[in-house]
Amino acid sequence: MTSFLKKVADYTREAVDAANYLAKGLSVTFDHMRRRPVTVQYPYEKLIPSERYRGRIHYEFDKCIACEVCVRVCPINLPVVDWVMNKETKKKELRNYSIDFGVCIFCGNCVEYCPTNCLSMTEEYELSTFDRHSLNFDNVALGRLPTSVTTDPSVHPLRELAYLPKGVMDPHDIPSSQSRAGKLPSEIIQQINQESALDKTTKNLSNISAAEKDN
Amino acid sequence: MIPPAPVLLALAAPGLDLELSFSQAMQGLGLSAQLAHILWLPLPMLLVLVAAVIGVLVTVWLERKISAAAQQRIGPEYAGALGILQPMADGLKLLVKEDVIPARADALLFTLGPVLVLIPVILSWLIVPFGQNLLISNVGIGIFLWISLSSIQPIGLLMSGYASNNKYSLLGGLRAAAQSISYEIPLALSVLAIVMMSNSLSTVDIVQQQNTAGLLSWNVWRQPIGFLIFWICALAECERLPFDLPEAEEELVAGYQTEYAGMKFALFYLGSYINLILSALLVSVLYLGGWGFPIPVEWLASLLGQSIDSPFVQVFTGSMGIMMTIIKAYLLVFLAILLRWTTPRVRIDQLLDLGWKFLLPISLVNLLFTAALKLAFPLAFGG
Repeated sequence: MTSFLKKVADYTREAVDAANYLAKGLSVTFDHMRRRPVTVQYPYEKLIPSERYRGRIHYEFDKCIACEVCVRVCPINLPVVDWVMNKETKKKELRNYSIDFGVCIFCGNCVEYCPTNCLSMTEEYELSTFDRHSLNFDNVALGRLPTSVTTDPSVHPLRELAYLPKGVMDPHDIPSSQSRAGKLPSEIIQQINQESALDKTTKNLSNISAAEKDN
Repeated sequence: MIPPAPVLLALAAPGLDLELSFSQAMQGLGLSAQLAHILWLPLPMLLVLVAAVIGVLVTVWLERKISAAAQQRIGPEYAGALGILQPMADGLKLLVKEDVIPARADALLFTLGPVLVLIPVILSWLIVPFGQNLLISNVGIGIFLWISLSSIQPIGLLMSGYASNNKYSLLGGLRAAAQSISYEIPLALSVLAIVMMSNSLSTVDIVQQQNTAGLLSWNVWRQPIGFLIFWICALAECERLPFDLPEAEEELVAGYQTEYAGMKFALFYLGSYINLILSALLVSVLYLGGWGFPIPVEWLASLLGQSIDSPFVQVFTGSMGIMMTIIKAYLLVFLAILLRWTTPRVRIDQLLDLGWKFLLPISLVNLLFTAALKLAFPLAFGG
């Protein structure tokens, strides 16, 4: 009899627990209803890519020395460097350079190791085409600069969460003058410079006072 | 029909009777009473059909908007203001889509299936009261008619599942039939407890019996367990999450709807949403006082010094009654949508366990308990 009663009690407790969990779950979904949508209305609104965004690679033909470092550091030896040896000047003459972005993984090794900084990463990520072969960019296509999200008049640029002012969650309708939380890199450098300048003056002052004491 | 208790009769106002006014007006034009009745008949039917379809459009829109809000999305936005025309656009698209019948399917049963699913659901609107006389027909067997009509639906589902000649469809149809049959019993038992308290199967009597003292006399206080069981079973009957096994898209593609396209699919879609609204309406009728206000109208009228029989008060209470019914129903629809995004789908064995081993015994105990309370306290539990 007692075991039966215990069973009934356990069953009831389980049922009450289940109802409790359900209520907790409902409170979570209900709370989500009053939260701001995270939607970015894509072709009309775009997020501003961060400073170190690794997008399509930009290439400056005139800076390139055809050293092929980019090919060696590339995980799949992707860049095609087409050069010929000029026997008279005994120098490489670059004829063509191309990267296939249908194959590139945007790791940025080539950019990292380029000795003349002729490679750089842009913020361009809209690389969809009807034919994958048109993703094979030659030196002319690689030399084009992407349209920046912030300067495109048809796009409403939105800042990413980390770039919003302190306490702000909604990227809409924030004046561009309002700075993000924390200091910008330029501000940090400025601060360091100021501090070192201050250090120098105090050091000079102490040197002078020490010299005076010696005298 | 068993007449309601004399106490209730005294309290119940005659209310707005549009049919009486209509037939009087027609007779004033020189028509016979019978002709006036025949002329009257299609009006409420058409009105309720239109109301049901508009209700579906609103529910579809609400479903999409609330789902979006629960997932921090925006939802439909460009079709009309706030995307209100989105369900119309969906319906129009389905209307002009090609009507495909699979080559190896049973064409007759395939066509008959969605019809057999939709018709009983629409027919059940016969008994949904929006006011004292604001329903198509105050049938004596009222709520029993709904229960019996809703058991036709699984036949249609099974039919379309079988006729599609597709294993997903067949599994979905079988699941739908199993689910409907096992959840109809606790549903009927919880309705039976209500019927026992109000001494009538008629939905109008059930609502009137609840509206003696406004909010406090609603059945939900006397039948809290019955209310929960009814709501769970209604969700299962509507095949809404967490009980949407018949169309579980992750496992069965779309269940019995897999092979359907165009208008036949739209019939299933329409049927499921009309059924959801119907269930919400019936919960509000059976447990939340139907068209009744939280505060009784009689008290309000006497407080304002108005006669309950004056035309203005009658029109006002009539329209407010419709509003109250719809508000209550849509609160329940909102709850159903919120539940959809809260609860995971149950397994088929869990579903049947819940139906047979939990809801059925509990609803039986609830019924017996109600009977005992009715004998012990006839005043509070409808003697």
